[in-house]
Amino acid sequence: MSICKSLRLLAGLGLAAGLSALAPGAASAATDLTICYMNHPVQAANLAILEKWAKKQDINLTKTPMSYSIYLPKITQMLANNSTGQCDIIWHNDDWGQDWAQYLVSTDDIPEIKNVAEGQLEPFFNEKGQPTTVPMATTAGIFFYRTDLVSEAEVPKTWDDLVKVSQKLQKEGKVKWGYVGGMTFTNTFFSFWWSLWNNNCDVYAPAYERDNAVLSKNGWKPMTADACQVQTAEFWWDALHKNNISPPGMSTYSRDEANAIFQAGDAAFTVADSTLLGTYNDPKKSKAAGHVGMARFPQGPMSKEHRSWIDIWGWSIPKSVTPEKQKAAKALLGAMMTDYEGQIAQWEQTGGPPPNSKVWAMLDKSDPVWRQVKGILFDSAHVHDAYYFRNWAVVHKTYSDILIKAVTGAREDIPKVLTEGAPAIHQGAMR
Amino acid sequence: MSLSLAVSSTGPRAQAGGFLGLLGVAGRRVFFALAVVAILLIFIGPVAILLLTSVRPPSGVYYIWRGWEFTLDNFAEVLAQPVVLHSMWNSFVLSSIATVASLGVTVGSGYMLSRFTGPIQRSWFGIIYVFRTVPYISWVLPLYLVTTNLGIYDTYLGLLLPHVAVHVCFFSWIMKGFFDSISPSMEHAALIDGCTRWGAFRRVALPSAMPGIAALAILSWLWTWNEFLFGLILTAQRTPVITVTMAQFVTETGTEWHLMSATAVLAMLPALLITIFGQKYVVRGLRM
Amino acid sequence: MSMAPVSAAHRPRLLGEKERFMLLLIAPAALVLLSFEVVPILIGMNASFRDWSLVNPQKTWVGLRHYVEVFTDPVFLKIVLPNTFILMVSSVTLSLVFGLALAHLLKRQFFGRILIQTVVLLPLTIAPVITATMMRWSFNDQFGILTNLLAVIGVPQVGWLSERWPSFIIIILTDVWIWTPWFTIILLAALQGLPKEPYEAAQIDAASKWGIFTHVTLPLLRPVIAVCVLIRAIDAFRTFDQVWVLTGGGPARSTEVFSVYAYVEAFVNLDLGRGAAAAGAGAIIMLAVGLGLYAIVNRAMEVSR
Repeated sequence: MSICKSLRLLAGLGLAAGLSALAPGAASAATDLTICYMNHPVQAANLAILEKWAKKQDINLTKTPMSYSIYLPKITQMLANNSTGQCDIIWHNDDWGQDWAQYLVSTDDIPEIKNVAEGQLEPFFNEKGQPTTVPMATTAGIFFYRTDLVSEAEVPKTWDDLVKVSQKLQKEGKVKWGYVGGMTFTNTFFSFWWSLWNNNCDVYAPAYERDNAVLSKNGWKPMTADACQVQTAEFWWDALHKNNISPPGMSTYSRDEANAIFQAGDAAFTVADSTLLGTYNDPKKSKAAGHVGMARFPQGPMSKEHRSWIDIWGWSIPKSVTPEKQKAAKALLGAMMTDYEGQIAQWEQTGGPPPNSKVWAMLDKSDPVWRQVKGILFDSAHVHDAYYFRNWAVVHKTYSDILIKAVTGAREDIPKVLTEGAPAIHQGAMR
Repeated sequence: MSLSLAVSSTGPRAQAGGFLGLLGVAGRRVFFALAVVAILLIFIGPVAILLLTSVRPPSGVYYIWRGWEFTLDNFAEVLAQPVVLHSMWNSFVLSSIATVASLGVTVGSGYMLSRFTGPIQRSWFGIIYVFRTVPYISWVLPLYLVTTNLGIYDTYLGLLLPHVAVHVCFFSWIMKGFFDSISPSMEHAALIDGCTRWGAFRRVALPSAMPGIAALAILSWLWTWNEFLFGLILTAQRTPVITVTMAQFVTETGTEWHLMSATAVLAMLPALLITIFGQKYVVRGLRM
Repeated sequence: MSMAPVSAAHRPRLLGEKERFMLLLIAPAALVLLSFEVVPILIGMNASFRDWSLVNPQKTWVGLRHYVEVFTDPVFLKIVLPNTFILMVSSVTLSLVFGLALAHLLKRQFFGRILIQTVVLLPLTIAPVITATMMRWSFNDQFGILTNLLAVIGVPQVGWLSERWPSFIIIILTDVWIWTPWFTIILLAALQGLPKEPYEAAQIDAASKWGIFTHVTLPLLRPVIAVCVLIRAIDAFRTFDQVWVLTGGGPARSTEVFSVYAYVEAFVNLDLGRGAAAAGAGAIIMLAVGLGLYAIVNRAMEVSR
């Protein structure tokens, strides 16, 4: 009750907390490494490999899971601030490659680091052209369909097919909706972007260019008002309001809502990360389990070829980490990179493609599902997802707001909304 | 009561009572019962939805109205993660200490605001008012810098002190209200009896303000328990708090809503207990 | 300016002794406030005048550029500010009205009163983030339980969150649900502490119940209501969780409020400089509004005396 008492208590606790903060690291001879990541099946599976090797290498691995909503700002501030002692290894996503490269050590000397699919390490290159991450898995969007409703021959090849097949299934009462996918900010990939990239179109001209110098020379010219983009917006407007192949509220959906509807068996098609295959096929979670097929994206009217996006997730080491710890961290990540069995287990558990392409060759021989995924994702034209643009985060949010405005407004206003939005996308990169 | 307000907007004042009168005793009873049912529905509804979600299998967490499968597996899965109980314990400790510390720090400040006048009092009140209006957003990110530089990031202390800081303005203000409602005559008497100012404050004013302080303690505990943003920015693996642990079920590829709702229900239990047993003191104590 | 009753009896016996005691009383609070609120705010303010992206902190001085950008941003002026004030006014008004109604109900003695009171306090026990997430699922056009219940009574099954006003109303109602208990509990405490005499006098005058409420209860409650409204209005100005979870400020920024605007600049765009300027702009506006409210509240209190 008395203030004195509570103050004494407070001081005592503060001391205790301070001491407990100092305690770890003082006693043990083994190297302590703290790894910062997000709770995700692929990361958990890859961490299991790391933990296995940490034991063998006499490393105490402390796991610090972080919430996705705060991961980027918090780690960015930690890196820019040169803070030490918080994270010795961090989860790294291609989104942030160019932003973080200057703060991360080169991973050039990790064994077999170059064994990745073409171009996948590029977004993580530092000024010297060295990679700054060690891959853990590839992330890519893929077109999922219900094999109990659609035969392989009937799988939509074009947007028109998608509408026709959907409407047929809906009319026959076999399924409530044709296509469902996330659309709100940061879920742009699962509706606007896969369709954009499969309609010979992109955010900035020239399409599919990711070299910022070239884009800069072209003046960061948005393609937002171009016919290919207008077509994309009109396709989604029709899907929502005219052809009714997608739920009317889809413009507010994140992956959660889209997955909920697909897993409830209420939709025939969706686009999501390939790593969701495991979830969709889990009878505990999904009514569609056992009937999930994968295919290439349906093509838009202006499309010239199928295009998938592939990018990696990785582990990186901040420059502020002490040299001994850097060495230990590199040894650990190198062990993971050459652990073929562990990577195969990761693939089988989560559907996350193994980081080392040597393992791909092994899976090619033994695993038909792998062959199919590889065919769709890797044996086709690629686009790096748009993360390589300057001021990526600003551009993404601006783009999302403009397209959502277009598909929730009147159809005849779409060209106007896109034309008016274009300058903001240009300025996004210039900022 | 909501009833007579609704009536007032349609009819002249004098007829309002008459309208209820027209209904007769039975009619009034029915109306009262209806109002009570409506209140129960509105306030229990969302909680019921949360409870229902938490006992549904993963296939039924979104379409909770489809199917009749129920399970306690979500709770088992959540409780199997050591971080959940660890962070509930952390939140419990943090909420309790933050409450004691916030009250301890602000009681003097509130007393000063209530009992004294002059430039010091006026400036302190001005400072408190001004800083109450500054939005959290302008303050959380730099706070991370401050706690890192002080070396207390991800410790109890590093989480505790910012929580106390949030409460300083608001609690000082409320405490002032408590002391305002107590006549200062007893303290004057104590001073004349030879008590020091500190003695008069501690032995006379403080005990009379205790009911109010107790009420504030309960609210403070609940607010800290449910606080999210500070925990998000200022904690990592050493001192996870329950709201942040819940948020970890949101990943880049989707939300584990069945686990999140089970955790939310678990997190609700202590708060509910505090509310049930504390409400008497709250209502009594907030009588300013 | 002060709301404190002036106690003239407090003449200092020793010059400075009283002041020392005053400073001693506020010292702990001031110390915590300084280190964990004032200093971070100053760091933030410093950032608002600089080119300070989180990714690449140049920290070069740019003067008022960020503030000019914020105050000339049409989204900020035409959407964010109106939304913020609509949310503030409607949320505070509705929670006050409901809180007053509930407090009046709970003041009576009836069977099951404690149960109802506990139920009314339920929102205090759930983290607002969870409440908002639940509301978001409940209003989904496909699987939302509330959407489907409304469909049963004939309300079309529309995408509640895909249009500006329906989604904004859901934001407001969620906020009201979260904050009504707070008003209820404080007003209930106040009601129970009111003196009996004015009511006895009113009963002798045979005033109607409504008459007693408007002429006796409300004036007596005015000081408490004034302080409640002041505190809540300031808080409502910075509402974040509910809006961010329910709509993320969408569709297409149409439900964005001030905190979301500042958050997007700092945490999504990673532009700490401009985010800090947006927060600073909000603080300036809030300070002005807060001082205005304070003057009004002060007058309300004077009138009630």
